[in-house]
Amino acid sequence: MGARTLERRRHRAAARWAAFTAGPRPLVYVGMGSCGLAAGAGEVLAGVQAHIAARRLDVETASVGCIGPCYLEPLLDVRLPGRPRLSYANMTAELAVATLDALLAGELPRRHLVGRFALDDGWDGGAVPADDDLPAAFAAVPRLADHAMLAHQVRIVLRNCGIIDPEEVDHYLARGGYRAFEACLGTPWRDVVDTVKLSGLRGRGGAGFPTWVKWLVCREAGSGPRNLICNADEGDPGAFMNRSLIEGDPHAVLEGMLIAAYAIGASHGYVYIRAEYPLAIRRLRSAIGAARKLGLLGECVLGSDFSFDVTLKEGAGAFVCGEETALIASIEGRRGMPRTRPPFPAVSGLWGRPTIINNVETLATLPAVMARGADWYAAHGTERSKGTKTFALVGKVRRGGLIEVPFGTTLRSVIYDIGGGPTKDFRAVQTGGPSGGCLSEEFLDTPIEYETLAAAGSIMGSGGLIVLDRDTCIVDTARYFLRFTQAESCGKCVPCRVGTGHLVGILDAICSGRAELADLERLERLARVIKASSLCGLGQTAPNPVLSALKYFRDEFVEHIVDRRCRAAVCRDLVIYRVVPGRCTGCQRCVQVCPTGAITGPRAEAHNLDVDKCIKCRACYEVCRFDAIAGDAIVIESRGQRAD
Amino acid sequence: MRIEPLLRPDARALRVEVDHLAVTVPEGTTVLRAAEVAGVSVPSLCSHKELTPFGGCRLCTVEIEGVRGYPLACSTLAQDGMEVTTDTVALREMHAEILRLILSEHPSSCLLCDEADDCRRSLTTIRKAGVSTGCRSCPNDGACELQRLVERLGITEIGYPIAYRGLEAEHDDPFFDRDYNLCILCGRCVRMCHEVRGASVLAFKYRGPRTLIGPAFGASHVAAGCEFCGACVSVCPTGALSDKVSKWDGRPDGIETSTCPFCCLGCRVELAHRDGALSSVGAAHDAEVNDGQLCVRGRFCAPEATHHHSRARQPLVRKGAYFRVASWDEALDETAGKLSGIAADDILMLVSGDLANEGLYAAQRFARGFPGGAGLDSTARARLPGGPAFWSRMFALPISIKALGEAEIVIVAGLDTRFSFSVAGVQVRRAVRRGAKLIVVDARESNLARVADQWLRPRPGDEARALVGLVRTLGDGEPGPDGSEPTPSGEPAEAAGRPGGEANEMARGAATTAVVIGPRVFDCRGAEELPFELEALGARRAVSILPLAHGANVRGALELGVLGEVLPGPRLAVGRGPGLAQLRAGRLPKVLYLVGEAPFATQPACDVVIAQDLYLPPFEVDTFLPAASFAEAEGTLTNIEGRVQDMCRVEHLSPGTAHGLARPDWQIFSDLAARLGRSDLRYADAAAVRAAIRIDVPGFAAELDRSPRRMTPIAPDASSTAAGLESDDAGRGPSVRPQEGLAGHGRFILISEQASFRHRGIDLADVVEGLGELHLEEGLAMNPDDLARLGVEEGGTVTVTLDGGDLVCAVRSDSECPRGAAFLARDELWEWSTHPVRVRIRAGDRSPAGASRPPATRDRRLAGWRGGG
Repeated sequence: MGARTLERRRHRAAARWAAFTAGPRPLVYVGMGSCGLAAGAGEVLAGVQAHIAARRLDVETASVGCIGPCYLEPLLDVRLPGRPRLSYANMTAELAVATLDALLAGELPRRHLVGRFALDDGWDGGAVPADDDLPAAFAAVPRLADHAMLAHQVRIVLRNCGIIDPEEVDHYLARGGYRAFEACLGTPWRDVVDTVKLSGLRGRGGAGFPTWVKWLVCREAGSGPRNLICNADEGDPGAFMNRSLIEGDPHAVLEGMLIAAYAIGASHGYVYIRAEYPLAIRRLRSAIGAARKLGLLGECVLGSDFSFDVTLKEGAGAFVCGEETALIASIEGRRGMPRTRPPFPAVSGLWGRPTIINNVETLATLPAVMARGADWYAAHGTERSKGTKTFALVGKVRRGGLIEVPFGTTLRSVIYDIGGGPTKDFRAVQTGGPSGGCLSEEFLDTPIEYETLAAAGSIMGSGGLIVLDRDTCIVDTARYFLRFTQAESCGKCVPCRVGTGHLVGILDAICSGRAELADLERLERLARVIKASSLCGLGQTAPNPVLSALKYFRDEFVEHIVDRRCRAAVCRDLVIYRVVPGRCTGCQRCVQVCPTGAITGPRAEAHNLDVDKCIKCRACYEVCRFDAIAGDAIVIESRGQRAD
Repeated sequence: MRIEPLLRPDARALRVEVDHLAVTVPEGTTVLRAAEVAGVSVPSLCSHKELTPFGGCRLCTVEIEGVRGYPLACSTLAQDGMEVTTDTVALREMHAEILRLILSEHPSSCLLCDEADDCRRSLTTIRKAGVSTGCRSCPNDGACELQRLVERLGITEIGYPIAYRGLEAEHDDPFFDRDYNLCILCGRCVRMCHEVRGASVLAFKYRGPRTLIGPAFGASHVAAGCEFCGACVSVCPTGALSDKVSKWDGRPDGIETSTCPFCCLGCRVELAHRDGALSSVGAAHDAEVNDGQLCVRGRFCAPEATHHHSRARQPLVRKGAYFRVASWDEALDETAGKLSGIAADDILMLVSGDLANEGLYAAQRFARGFPGGAGLDSTARARLPGGPAFWSRMFALPISIKALGEAEIVIVAGLDTRFSFSVAGVQVRRAVRRGAKLIVVDARESNLARVADQWLRPRPGDEARALVGLVRTLGDGEPGPDGSEPTPSGEPAEAAGRPGGEANEMARGAATTAVVIGPRVFDCRGAEELPFELEALGARRAVSILPLAHGANVRGALELGVLGEVLPGPRLAVGRGPGLAQLRAGRLPKVLYLVGEAPFATQPACDVVIAQDLYLPPFEVDTFLPAASFAEAEGTLTNIEGRVQDMCRVEHLSPGTAHGLARPDWQIFSDLAARLGRSDLRYADAAAVRAAIRIDVPGFAAELDRSPRRMTPIAPDASSTAAGLESDDAGRGPSVRPQEGLAGHGRFILISEQASFRHRGIDLADVVEGLGELHLEEGLAMNPDDLARLGVEEGGTVTVTLDGGDLVCAVRSDSECPRGAAFLARDELWEWSTHPVRVRIRAGDRSPAGASRPPATRDRRLAGWRGGG
């Protein structure tokens, strides 16, 4: 299929997009990303569809990706003819049906309403009626773009997520999709590299290596065939940027791959994606199929002399396979085990050929960079880190979800403005997953950049941002990440395989009150050896959570060791549960949930908690409801505290 | 440590400074090698000179001027002007810390035991009291690289909690034990198995702290296709892998380089001996023949074969009803008495093709020295189907094992190299890894067929014709050496499976071609054309041929003239004595002198039977003369390439009845000749025999010369004489190659292969426990589908009808067999029918009453036969 056919297809796409955004029939959109599905979007959609079928309603339904505020899922959008698209949050099937019925009846239910799409938010391609043309009731609905979680964001990579139906290539085309690549096809590859160079785009996989440098090395390495790999082996606990992006906008990734492949002269691409992402795999597979049909993949793309095709390779869930050389080994059918570099993959990678491995986000950024120019893109962000970055904002934060902000935004802005602040007192923020570190309050005003985070002892990583509040124990968190890296170590090199095990051992001792102060020195010394002598990035960064925690929260480690006290009351061996006689009303809720019968006492009298029987399961603490009146009747106390 | 020649002429020289010592190394050298050259030792556990860098142990970190962090010496390539420092405080600390980490998951009582010093002292006590014998918790104690490193780095405490893995030691597979509690996961075994051997049986399993070594999916080594070559055991730096037979022998007293006595490849081996006895065998690393590799036989079978309890080590003579131990003098006198006064026509000497050159030469000299010449033949004849002339032509071809690895096209016919000729298999896979095209011609699936680019699968028994067809088409399309027109292509053998344009295309353009021909192919019809076709191919392109025959010294047997009609040289003899065919026909001589092999299940009906052997024959003999094994006497073997290679004596047991009375074969003949009043066999030592050989055999070096030689074909006028011999030979050869069609009736094709695990006439599986456990050549191998159709289970009984006779035997399910074929390992004296042959196979025992089942003796393959008629 040539470029001309594609152009004709664009006309059809525009019509279909218009019908989608401003068609004559009412349309129900359900956010069917993994986050939505986990929250019950599948039931919501099924419920709505059953209702439509039963009542023979003239209503269409559509699936879209995640727009970002995952805490609001399942999200249900309804658009009536001539009305803006309205977003309703935290739906159930019944609620959805009721909301739909009310809207069809001409009402405007306010319950669960989050906002409306508006003309100037750029999401609907201008098909939304202007505010002035709306009935007052609709005009009074706040714009979704002004929602606290979305207002501070700049959505470049996520421009289509939650807006388009990811399985509809026409939607992507209608929003300017593949135009950037078509433009690239007409220019020399060097211009593409130059544009990327000027845009300042750096690898979004974590290390932030300038993308154009890597490309140039690859392009200039020999004359044989080259490979492009899209690294979608997102494995950090708490991170889901790549998954959401692929689920919401798979064609952006493909277009990015086409641009990158054209720039480096690759003839074949692989998407290495974890098998744990079935929905993303399905969406990507359908996108690849659609792109092939359009002549965007295969021999002689769009009638040019550039040929490129993409193979999906499902990873079996090894975290280490995110490391470039291990990933290559895995694609080649070998054990996912890193090798020493050099040679770097850009010189000798997959099947011994020069290979570029780019992260999903890096690739999905490319179409925007190429379409709107390097200067436009470089205008976002800071001097050293340009553009935007997506983050998975999770943990003890009020508004969790997928966000995109320009570099230079402070952590405080992200956590408080976008995330709505921590649920309880702020303790720390963990960036970069198992390779990153915990940053304390003093870093809240640090602008997010590759360099600043690294200087603070953490890393940018692929974009996990885990907020910890006063109920989170720093030592326990460090131990959690270390256990993760230990279990995910490939076992090849000694410091990573054995060393991390001993780090976990020392942290275990600290968490259970068996440690001594000298253990902290041993912890640091071993962590430094592991950092210096491990083979790959996994081992070299594995001690980061411990080292950063030790740097900023040393007092908590000391508290655990000397006072035998865990201030977050997380480390079981260091806490006891106690009933406060004055506050207990004797309601017996705790007696009912206690699995070991440790709590006894007649109704209306203060209960008795037998410490010997208590297994510290926390069930009583969770159900005790008198904290609103008189503070917790059941309290968790540190052993050390009680000894005072 | 061996240091390889450093500067190839084409490599750029780099100047590198290691700890301020300047060295010059060629481009592509690692820093570790450069340090080694500079005489600086960098600690390392996972690197190995035959393997690619791994970077797992992290012990070889160094500091390089201008390079960030601590690069690894093993995987960093040296660059011109590089300044390397290997010994700084930071490095030392890091090395010690990493070694401590390794020790924290490796049992280390041998290293850090508080009592170690006292223990060592008390081991040498002379008190007459119970003393400590020292802990023997690890078979590698004293030879462990980890131990050495701990000593060198001066580690005295670990500082980390010890995590013992608590794994059960694995003893289930034959030949070597595995105790992965001792494993440090250096990955040498995995890389050896994959990179060098090409077998890829071992892999890393699981991840993180649970990482282990072993075949994937928990399969046993046998099931995973392990060749039991022991290369993994040899590279293991700790005691995790240890061979069953010698693991507790302790450190050897010495290691001598010798030659493997089990097959015609003649691999060079290193024999470790302790207390005057052979302990274990390893590969010699600088040998051109095997390049540091061995097969299961060479690596594991030698100690058991030479120490087996069934060996008779003292002369025995029959006195009336008694068969008793005698002194050498008595036994020799007795034997000489039996031989003197007998007409030479009534004597037949049957010589094994496994004997050393000295023994073979002395044997033929002894036989021919009788007035008129005694009868002489060799069981090597059974190993050389086609006869001496045919094989002398084969041996005249350029034969090279090493060249296989460098060929661009490799053709392998009728060969599975898992347990036999593994070293050739290693070279074939090496060639494949370097990008060579592999074409396999085999009716049977084989380990090489599985990695072949093209697998031509002819009808069983038609491998030779398919190969001839393929070789012929290879010659086509290329101008001859004199620029003549391409030879017209012969009719493509219909048997050539699908000769496949693809294979021919693939084979056509390349320059260097190697052809490996398994022993089975020489039994097939059409094989007689092979030497001519291969010669023709050799005239057109660079070729190396590897014709494989069972038997350790078959080439020597041919060259030194122990086949009746062939004189040393080899030259044709004028008068021929009775041969093997005579025995087959039932015409037995009065005196039968069995040298090195007793190919009979029951006592041959001769007046006198003399045996000179390692093992006592399974029947009564009149005198038994104990011959020295390969480890007990000096000698030479001629390998298939014509290299004359020395075997070294490592057994130095005190002479006595229990062990050590065995004498080398040449010496026994020499002594006998002296007693018979002959002076033509007076040799002082083996070297004297070799000097005598040199007079008779042109090209046989006086001093040791291990370079390959090409044989001069027996008959100069090949076309007439070779064919003449061929037809003459037809009546006496072990198998008669049918010219057209297949004889016999029935739905199955029976392929009787030469038994491959024979040494001096005995089945190695009987004396080597591990080989026995593998059950390799027992019974009739058939495709599982055929078994299902017959309604027979694995291990069940079938009746094979052939030549009107019935064989009742057990069947073995073997998915490598093609459907409609049955494979049987045959003995030297296989005398039934032609090969291959159609047979009827029925389930169960259908033979007429009285047919005996094959007993579980070494002759189980034959014992079930009842003669035809």
